[in-house]
Amino acid sequence: MEKFAVEMRNITKIFGHLKANDAVDFKLRENSINGLLGENGAGKTTLMNVLYGLYRQEEGEIYIHGQKTDIVSPLKAISSGIGMVHQHFMLARPLTVVENIMLGRKSSRGIFLDTRKVAAEIRELSDRYHLMVDPYARIWQLSVGQQQRVEILTTIYQGANILILDEPTAVLTPQEAETLFSILRQMRDDGKSMILITHKLEEILSVVDDVTILRDGKMISSFKVTPATTKEELSRLMVGRDVLFDFNPAAVKPGKERLGMKDLRVKNDKGLPAVNNFSLSVSEGEIVGLAGVDGNGQKELAEALTGLRPAEGGKIFINGIEAENKPPVFFIHQGVAHIPEDRQNMGLAMGFCVSKNLIIKRFCQQPYAKNGVMNYKNIKNHAQKMIQDFQIKTNTTEDITRDLSGGNQQKVILARELADEPSVLIANQPTRGLDVGATEYVRSRLLEARSKGAAILLISADIEEIIQLSDRIAVIYNGELMGILPKGSQPETIGLLMMGKRQGENTGVKENQ
Amino acid sequence: MVSGALLTGAILIIISGNDPIAAYAALLEGAFSNSYRISETFVKAIPLMLMALGVSIAFKNQIWNIGAGGQFTIGTILSVIVCLYFKLPPIPTIILSFIFAFIGGALWGGLAGWLKARFNANEVITTLMLDYIATYLLAYLVYGPMMDPNGFGYPQSAVIEKVLRLPKLIVGGRLHTGIFVAIAILFLMLLFWRSTLGFKIELAGQGNDVSRYAGIDNKKIIVITMLLSGGLSGIAGWNEIHGIHFRLMTDLAGSYGSIAIVIALLGNLNPLGIAISAYFFSVLIVGGNTMQNLTGIPYSLVDIIQGLIVVFVITRTAFRTESIQTFFRKRRYQHNG
Repeated sequence: MEKFAVEMRNITKIFGHLKANDAVDFKLRENSINGLLGENGAGKTTLMNVLYGLYRQEEGEIYIHGQKTDIVSPLKAISSGIGMVHQHFMLARPLTVVENIMLGRKSSRGIFLDTRKVAAEIRELSDRYHLMVDPYARIWQLSVGQQQRVEILTTIYQGANILILDEPTAVLTPQEAETLFSILRQMRDDGKSMILITHKLEEILSVVDDVTILRDGKMISSFKVTPATTKEELSRLMVGRDVLFDFNPAAVKPGKERLGMKDLRVKNDKGLPAVNNFSLSVSEGEIVGLAGVDGNGQKELAEALTGLRPAEGGKIFINGIEAENKPPVFFIHQGVAHIPEDRQNMGLAMGFCVSKNLIIKRFCQQPYAKNGVMNYKNIKNHAQKMIQDFQIKTNTTEDITRDLSGGNQQKVILARELADEPSVLIANQPTRGLDVGATEYVRSRLLEARSKGAAILLISADIEEIIQLSDRIAVIYNGELMGILPKGSQPETIGLLMMGKRQGENTGVKENQ
Repeated sequence: MVSGALLTGAILIIISGNDPIAAYAALLEGAFSNSYRISETFVKAIPLMLMALGVSIAFKNQIWNIGAGGQFTIGTILSVIVCLYFKLPPIPTIILSFIFAFIGGALWGGLAGWLKARFNANEVITTLMLDYIATYLLAYLVYGPMMDPNGFGYPQSAVIEKVLRLPKLIVGGRLHTGIFVAIAILFLMLLFWRSTLGFKIELAGQGNDVSRYAGIDNKKIIVITMLLSGGLSGIAGWNEIHGIHFRLMTDLAGSYGSIAIVIALLGNLNPLGIAISAYFFSVLIVGGNTMQNLTGIPYSLVDIIQGLIVVFVITRTAFRTESIQTFFRKRRYQHNG
């Protein structure tokens, strides 16, 4: 008989009227990796929060290694050997690795710290799993991939043999993700069991032993992954219908330059250089993908290109007009649409209703206002049209935007930015955090805008997305343009540039940088 | 919220050994038992509503203007100056007095707005400080240069001429035609929130990032917001001078500034809501005095009820905002995990 590290039976969790988990069965075999797959809102996180003791289930039982266990709190979960690696790291940045791991733990030397002992233990663990973590490195000095390994190390050090990883690759380059996967495989062979929460199908196919698919709070299917398992099959189970993967965009001949940057320099909020001598050109009817790991100057670049952040030097051309350091209104009038990275603070007025959010950039113009008076009838009619055109799920045009799901919030932004056929579109991480259905929708809309002639700069950390949509692929690292690659470049090639290897340089993969 | 506050107030009355029903009955009697008292409830409601409408403009833009009292005071000072020293015919004097009161209040508020826009100075501090400055400026004027020469040394200015006073609406009461000005401004405010400028202010209140993104000049809007916010309190000052006091005295603003904040919040920053809650507070204040005389329950109960309403209002807004909810969730999370 097979042994299960975790067995969740008939778990039901209700929030208000919503059944977030509806009689879900979940089994994690010992020494295996189980991929928990589902769209946003499918109940993956809820299920794992029940397992980790953050929520109490209304019904159902949990067995850990065959023992019925009542997980009342995360403390209890940890003592039962369950560890969780969060998507957003919970590390104190100024402290060292070993100090972070010691936080909240009793020292074996009473009132004195046992730093040296713990450090030695960490080094031993790190070596065993090839984590390559230096116990005395400070967190802020580490790359995102290394920080994640510190999180993993912390849970193992606490004695976890069941690990929950929440979207672990969301912040990693393909190379870093591959490193992570080999670590996970090694840990599995060493006797650990892991749950991988994800909505990336490639991960399921490459690293996972079993897959469990949730949809609308219900367990849809659970099976062993075989070489015959396909992406199409998984997505159909997850979404409940066929999903388009290959957009295969018809090639459009690019026209004249709409957006140009020449030796552009921009500073970040701390006043440090974020974008250095950046030159790039985007033409009518073209999508230029800008790939890069988060925090390499993408946000600052997008803000400079929309007038939200001053350019310290260099030039910006919008429709052939010099535009650096012009106010945001200039860019709006020139038809520069912007899908910002920070949807909730910049892209939307969360306390406004949907109909108002759809016109926040044009509220002074007819037909939404005349002679300084708003025309709410026209605004409402416009909203009704947009809700239909962009399939925004909301009860009324007057629903508060905060109450919409993330995907629908993004559709509100999309509707506003694309409604007037922009000449330039700066799309910064347009599908981050969206589920498969919404992602597909956003991407198809971007392609549609391109075929209508928009010059699109698609900024994304998702290589798959870049490859799928871009006519040319630029890569940014540390605020600098690393190179421009043609359509159809390999993920590995892009990934190397994303890690700071210039085009043409010797490309020995150097991890642990 | 109001009922919550009144209920809690009732419990306090019981604890103090009195009968809450008798107390509230006395309060209502004090507010409504004769035409003078009824007229008083409107008299008090006028400045409270105008000032609450004023602070509500700032609040919509997330600017915490707590100095409505100071803006009111500057309005009263300028009104009296125009009336006493500008030797003009009556109608131009009243109009000029109105304009000066508005501009004076607007500049007093706008100064705090400019300090915020230019130096990122916290408006809670600046409006509070400007409030003190206005109060002491008024005290200086009535003890010094503007003291009534025939006033036997009382700290007050000369009275404005009879023709400059707003006509009374009822015999034996203090209710005056200023109430029509207040109602007109209430209507203007309803229209204001349907204007593009009102939209801009509301959008700016949704956060710096989103309003900049939508092409709004945040600094300019902060100043405009505070100009309008202070201006309405200035008009409240004009109303009190021409309708009630006819002269400057020390501490004309009293605690109006802080009550206006409560009214604006209780009215949910909505003009009609503000009008209703201003009247409600006016009833509490007018009736509270009678309650103290009739039942011996101290007037402080009214203050306590006011305070309780603040607590209930803040609790409501706090738990509606996501940030607080996530804050508590995170706290629990980090505590355990």
